[in-house]
Amino acid sequence: MTSRQVRFLRRVGAMAAKEVLHIRRDPRTLYMSLAMPVIMLLLLGFGLSFDIERIPLVIADGDRSAASRDLARAIQGSHDFAAVLGSDAAAAEQALRRGQALAALLVPAGFARDLLSGRDAPVQLLVDGSDGNLARQIMGKLDAIVRAHGQPSLGLAGTPPLQVQIYTLWNPAGRSALFMVPGVAAYLLAIAAVLLTALTVAGEWERGSMEQLFASPVGRLEIVLGKLLPYLALGMLQLLLVIALGTSVFDVPIRGSLPVILLAGLLFLTGMLGQGLLISVIARNQLVATQAGALSSLLPSLMLSGMLVPIENMPRILQALTVVVPARYLVHALRTLMLKGGGLAVVALDLVALGLFAVAILALATLRFRRRLA
Amino acid sequence: MRWGRAPREESARRRRRAGWAIELGAVVRKEVRQTVRDRRIMFLLIAAPLLQTILLGYAVDFNFENIPTLVVDLDRSHDSRTHARRLLADRTMQRRPGATSVAEASADLAAGRAAAAIVLPPGLARDLLAQQPADVQILLDGTDPNRAMVVASAAARYFGEVASDLLRERMAARGLPPPAASRAVPRALYNPGLATAPFMIPGVMTMLLVITTTVITAMGLSREREMGTLEQVLVTPIRPLVLLVGKMAPFLVIGLFDVFMVLTAGVWLFGVPMNGPAAVLVTGTLLYLLSTLGIGLLISSISRTQQQSFLAGFLFIMPAILLSGVMTPVGAMPAWLRSVTYVNPVRYFVEILRANLLKGAGFSDLWWRLLALAGIGGLILLVATLRFRKRTA
Repeated sequence: MTSRQVRFLRRVGAMAAKEVLHIRRDPRTLYMSLAMPVIMLLLLGFGLSFDIERIPLVIADGDRSAASRDLARAIQGSHDFAAVLGSDAAAAEQALRRGQALAALLVPAGFARDLLSGRDAPVQLLVDGSDGNLARQIMGKLDAIVRAHGQPSLGLAGTPPLQVQIYTLWNPAGRSALFMVPGVAAYLLAIAAVLLTALTVAGEWERGSMEQLFASPVGRLEIVLGKLLPYLALGMLQLLLVIALGTSVFDVPIRGSLPVILLAGLLFLTGMLGQGLLISVIARNQLVATQAGALSSLLPSLMLSGMLVPIENMPRILQALTVVVPARYLVHALRTLMLKGGGLAVVALDLVALGLFAVAILALATLRFRRRLA
Repeated sequence: MRWGRAPREESARRRRRAGWAIELGAVVRKEVRQTVRDRRIMFLLIAAPLLQTILLGYAVDFNFENIPTLVVDLDRSHDSRTHARRLLADRTMQRRPGATSVAEASADLAAGRAAAAIVLPPGLARDLLAQQPADVQILLDGTDPNRAMVVASAAARYFGEVASDLLRERMAARGLPPPAASRAVPRALYNPGLATAPFMIPGVMTMLLVITTTVITAMGLSREREMGTLEQVLVTPIRPLVLLVGKMAPFLVIGLFDVFMVLTAGVWLFGVPMNGPAAVLVTGTLLYLLSTLGIGLLISSISRTQQQSFLAGFLFIMPAILLSGVMTPVGAMPAWLRSVTYVNPVRYFVEILRANLLKGAGFSDLWWRLLALAGIGGLILLVATLRFRKRTA
């Protein structure tokens, strides 16, 4: 190593040490950055699920027959519904409007008669459609119960003629945690990397200490690297924390290669730090930097990464937009590596995309940083 | 600055009351000027919510469509081709070419080239004809459980209907009466198409308001503290309470404007209905803003720098949103978490918005939620103001 390189590294080290000192002198930043993943993960893992277990349901029995009471008992006996008996359709609708029930089952008069005579005996189901996702769940579950209840005579015909066997790979229990943990990792890294760098660099401009740094013998590139390194370390620490919590508390498997997971995280973080730097160079103001950062990184990471909604479900134009959202590649890489397994080969494309983004954005940021000063 | 000190005259009280208004006006003028001067902030405060709404409205759609699906037809009969075509007819699933064996299909699922595979076994048509039990296999990529469930239930429903049709045919062929059948005829109220946007847009409004108003209030105050300008204002005769109210006023207006804008976009672009009285909407928004601004204030009083304000803001916002029912239903949470949601202003506001816009609920349906919002907001503001005064005293 030449003495120039040694001096370069020493100055980068000094800048990094300065930044670490900033963080250490007021450790609340550190605590909060580490508390965030823990809280988010615990909430997501324990609290969040799309599946309601006891769906509040009103049954308005207009038939009052043995058959209709039987149906009500069958629904009450299922684990999915918490059914109460209501008086009539109007009362049921009010319960729906006030949010006291999510669905109402109206059994028409003549239900038992039709059922016995072998006619079609439909019952009406009113569902609160505001949450379409939930409404579809309710419709499916209730229809299954009603159909099963109406068809005891099918048993006489022997085994059903056609059966469907469903094999769910990689997450047979359908647990949301397995789905969410890799997505949350990408989201948290985006928050930490983009916004913390944007804020710390914009803060130097705001306080005027950036000019002082320029007056020192430290070069531009050294300033950039020194500022970014501690946050790179912080981001990696967050990633490790998320992975450790995910595997220990929520039994998220790591079927693929851990080094490749960390490599993907590192590439993603580098790109996000570059983005934060670019924002702060342009904004030079912490308030503007936060808003711009939230708009350009948090939102795409949440909405356009496939973390919540699969990309193929989006309109074409948004699908095209996701190509430049780095979180998309990280979410895909993490999910593949953690849940499905494999190594470099299966996520090579994702890694290349993340690497390209990181190089491009860092080059752009450094360029703007230089021009800004000239 | 003479108007700040109350003169010792009989009209002192009236003057003092007028002084309040003058002080408040001065602070509001200063705040508005400061906010408007930075064009970028204005742009971000106004453009960001609009952009986010449009993006969210189009991107988040839980109506799954075009799920990439492989059909492994090992029977290659007329029957198997018909079933495959009819199963995929409603466009929930979209057929992807390739995969002629189960092994190939598994490899495609592992590589993420498809999310589901339907395996029609060899001899399917023959077994059905011979009245032998037949099995259809579905392989699902479980990494996205929501998507997997959609495919599973679509397949189960389709083949369930096929099975019961077959059974009816067979019983009729033997001269037996058809089996009695019951089914639930569903009707979705308030959102008949079960579209995602009318449900999500109120959620988006809720999130945007808490993100912009809380973080900006917190960071704005921290910034003044960082730069030392807060102390300068505090040595003027302006009362701290007036200062606070004046500082919040512009954000209250911006918040209301954002609600108006997002709602307009929602109604025009995404067909969000406005079934309820608008007065409930406005009342709810104002009460909600009390809470979000109060929390911003509270955060600024416990942080020293803007960076900390921002982090603390997110530390509040994230759990508040996750525990509100905006994303996932409150009813799906475990009981201990559900009890936390009772003190969450975000939960009440999103419930009010959704009930008002979609279900047409009015004051008589929502009064206790509005009351809860007012109580929480008032309490937070009280604590925040007390802390702020203590710190500045």
